[in-house]
Amino acid sequence: MSKEESRREAFVKIGVGAACVAGCGAAVFGYDFLSPNVLYEPSPVVSVGKPDRYPAGSVTQDLQNGIYVVHGPEGMYSLSATCTHLGCLTVWKADLNIIACPCHGSKFNEQGARIAGPAPRGLPWLRVWVGDEGDLMVDRSTTIPPKQFLRT
Amino acid sequence: MSDQAPRLAAALDSDSRRTPLRVAFVTRRTSPQVKTYDDPAVMTYPEAILRAVVAVQILTIALVAISLLWDAPLEQLADPMHTPNPAKAPWYFLGLQELLHYFPPVVAGVMIPGLVVAALVVIPYFNINIEAEGIWLKNRGRRLRIFGLVIVAFSAVMVAFQVWAVLIPTLLIAAAMLLAAASPPQPPSRFRRWLVSKPVSYWVMTWFLVQAVVLTAIGTFFRGPGWSWVWPWRS
Amino acid sequence: MAKTLDAYANGLRDTRVWRSVFRGGRGPNNLRRSLAVQQNVFLHLASVKISRRSLAFRTTWFLGTLSLGTFLILAATGILLMLYYHPSTPQAYADMKDLQFVVSAGVFLRNLHRWSAHAMVFLVFAHMFKVFYRGAYRTPREFNWVVGVILLLVTLLLSYTGYLLPWDQLAFWAITVGSNLMSAVPVLGAKMRFLMLGGHTVNANALLRFYVLHCVILPFAAAVFLAIHFWRIRKDGGLYTSSGDSHE
Repeated sequence: MSKEESRREAFVKIGVGAACVAGCGAAVFGYDFLSPNVLYEPSPVVSVGKPDRYPAGSVTQDLQNGIYVVHGPEGMYSLSATCTHLGCLTVWKADLNIIACPCHGSKFNEQGARIAGPAPRGLPWLRVWVGDEGDLMVDRSTTIPPKQFLRT
Repeated sequence: MSDQAPRLAAALDSDSRRTPLRVAFVTRRTSPQVKTYDDPAVMTYPEAILRAVVAVQILTIALVAISLLWDAPLEQLADPMHTPNPAKAPWYFLGLQELLHYFPPVVAGVMIPGLVVAALVVIPYFNINIEAEGIWLKNRGRRLRIFGLVIVAFSAVMVAFQVWAVLIPTLLIAAAMLLAAASPPQPPSRFRRWLVSKPVSYWVMTWFLVQAVVLTAIGTFFRGPGWSWVWPWRS
Repeated sequence: MAKTLDAYANGLRDTRVWRSVFRGGRGPNNLRRSLAVQQNVFLHLASVKISRRSLAFRTTWFLGTLSLGTFLILAATGILLMLYYHPSTPQAYADMKDLQFVVSAGVFLRNLHRWSAHAMVFLVFAHMFKVFYRGAYRTPREFNWVVGVILLLVTLLLSYTGYLLPWDQLAFWAITVGSNLMSAVPVLGAKMRFLMLGGHTVNANALLRFYVLHCVILPFAAAVFLAIHFWRIRKDGGLYTSSGDSHE
């Protein structure tokens, strides 16, 4: 091969290599662009009022926040109301003492454990604590292992 | 001149004495380019263009008539705090949603659609889909054994997951295939002859089509609140 | 004064202006018919002559043509609907009500768009099955079959993204369930869902992304793949017609 042809090949290789680098860079920038940095969604941490709003033995569904606030015999806790199957909103059936999902028939008990249906897991327990002003606070983005009760 | 036969070598030559004419045997159905019939060519305009225009006109008239008679549905404003019961997908996904009832989301939602798309894409690249002979006309014993194994294993999985909606159509198609296998070499009736002539690709695609229709029909008509079974004529 | 309409039309076609726009020639001859296709920017993808067999109804049932027809109806009605639709929450739902009660022919356009969408999904599936059953995917048409499967996916995605736009209960929960299915994809599922929705839940960001996908990105993709699809038909020697003695 003559010197001119190999020089041409070298330039082609450099060009293609540069295009690949540019392509990868564009992909990274594109992914970064498509991934929003600011979300106008409500904060996951919510206050659900003073603990004495929830009498002993009650299961209260907070539709606004998509959670259950339960005052059981061992203490208070909060469950996510989003069904673990495909994200439908469950409802508390007081007469049957179960939490039921309308979409595919999943059923959970008061402690969120799965009783029936295609849901793969029980409803997650959410982190609860009493805030500075005495309000009950729930962090919907943090799950805790079940059976960790809050005594008030 | 040696005693060995001359070595055959490919050659391009316009001298037909040195390079003899070639004779090609074209067996049935080896190439879609071989024409065995007379197919006149006609002018695209007007023949093809006007036919296409008329077809689209008929389609438009039909769709306009339907649009004037029936309204598209519109439910209440989206409410994240209230899930309707049942929450159904558009009709072309209802078959998938029915499968979701039996299998976990990874299988019914990701694996099965993924496999279906992959299977569709690779269809033309497998020789077994190119052959156009009846399925049982070649390697009959071996194919029957593979067929039996596949049907038994598949049915066992369906019974284990209690997916009757898939099991019953599968068994019906398998019965039709066995009927084709049991037919004599020159079947008496026209229907049997037609059945015997169907290749593997035909059976698999027909199974898929029947399955899709059955699952979609169940998801559309036979599922009510909580995805429970309902008889549509009773609700 | 006794000139017929035909004579006027022919006179029109003889003018310099007409002949500068339409270069098709005159008269009921094959040259003119050839030029009508070959000199037309929209039609010259087609060949000037076509096999008579491929025009028969029983060959294709015209399903490909009809799929394209529904696509054009959807594009036309969709563009018109876009003029009265704001892709924001909850304005989108109010706009749907406007289209139904306030906009002239709004209910008709929306109905036509919706029913054509269902028809297109059905026709595209039917087209795929018909192509398969007549064996038109075999060599040399394999790649065109693959392009067809891509078009099927684009059609389903168009339908899926359009489904969210009315922002009613049906739309919201169908998309919620669908996006949760996406997060079932191993490893990348949650990230894919986050990118698709532009957030963690189906909200204003999701509506806007679906709107852009539905009105710009996916129709553009459909147009590109349709062009490839038709080009491949031409390059593969026209529509496949089976050799005489098939059991169709």
